[in-house]
Amino acid sequence: MKNLLNIFKLIVALSLPLSLSAENLYENLNAEELKRLSYLSDNIRCPKCSYGNISSSNAPISKDLKEEIAGLINEGYSNDEIFELMEKRYGDYVILKTDLEDNKTLFLVPLMILIISILLVTTYTIKKSK
Amino acid sequence: MATRSFLVLIMALLVFLISTFTVSLMQTNEITLIENQEGKKLSISEDLFDLNGNKVAAESLLEGKVLLNVWASWCITCLVEHPFLKKVTASKDVELVGINYKDQDFNAKKYLIDNGDPYSFSVYDLSGSFSLKLGVTGAPETFLVIDGVIVSHRIGEVNMEVWNEKFAQYF
Repeated sequence: MKNLLNIFKLIVALSLPLSLSAENLYENLNAEELKRLSYLSDNIRCPKCSYGNISSSNAPISKDLKEEIAGLINEGYSNDEIFELMEKRYGDYVILKTDLEDNKTLFLVPLMILIISILLVTTYTIKKSK
Repeated sequence: MATRSFLVLIMALLVFLISTFTVSLMQTNEITLIENQEGKKLSISEDLFDLNGNKVAAESLLEGKVLLNVWASWCITCLVEHPFLKKVTASKDVELVGINYKDQDFNAKKYLIDNGDPYSFSVYDLSGSFSLKLGVTGAPETFLVIDGVIVSHRIGEVNMEVWNEKFAQYF
């Protein structure tokens, strides 16, 4: 029993530094900046593997990019500036975030149709009830 | 009468909606490839060293016609294209500079001893930071730089077909 306890203690002692190092992967960033890092890496596509974002990818370049973005956040770059930098290097292909400006038709047409339909239906039902 | 015009309007809207989306989707018929670095300037913001630890002069990459090839000893495709690179440097007047990407220098040197060395020299990029700024996504990649401007960029293996398509016109 005492042996078991000792083994348990050993396991805990060994795993403690592991969990600490996992938390301190980007030790220069505070909680707010870490949130930004995860937002950015969720919205930037891995240029090598093409089908996932860099936070889900294990390719060496994704790791490098995450580190570079962490460095840029540390240097005071804003999210938009980082997106711009990545777009300049790899093209808009790597930006997974949808830009409202470039996709006006996509966002506005359904909205317009919804509004027009609501107007039509209300006028139609009002007319009918009279 | 009201019902009829209402139905006509709804139909018109539906047709408009379907045609709008058909047209916008038809434009994306092509497969989008990752943007290559053609037309961009080669910028060197850090000190570069070759495999033997000697400092590389930035001018040697920025002046004249330089073919940059990203390689590593762990990279299988690099081994595949290696004989072709040797053939090119033997038969043409090509200044071929290697970028040794995320590799250990002793492994890299052994690779060159085992497989032959077509490079004038190789930039030792252990951290991959120089390559990252260059826009490299992985090994192998080949850039043709003329007077500091990237005129041709191949992501992946270079063989005879790719050479004729992308690089032969400059030599």
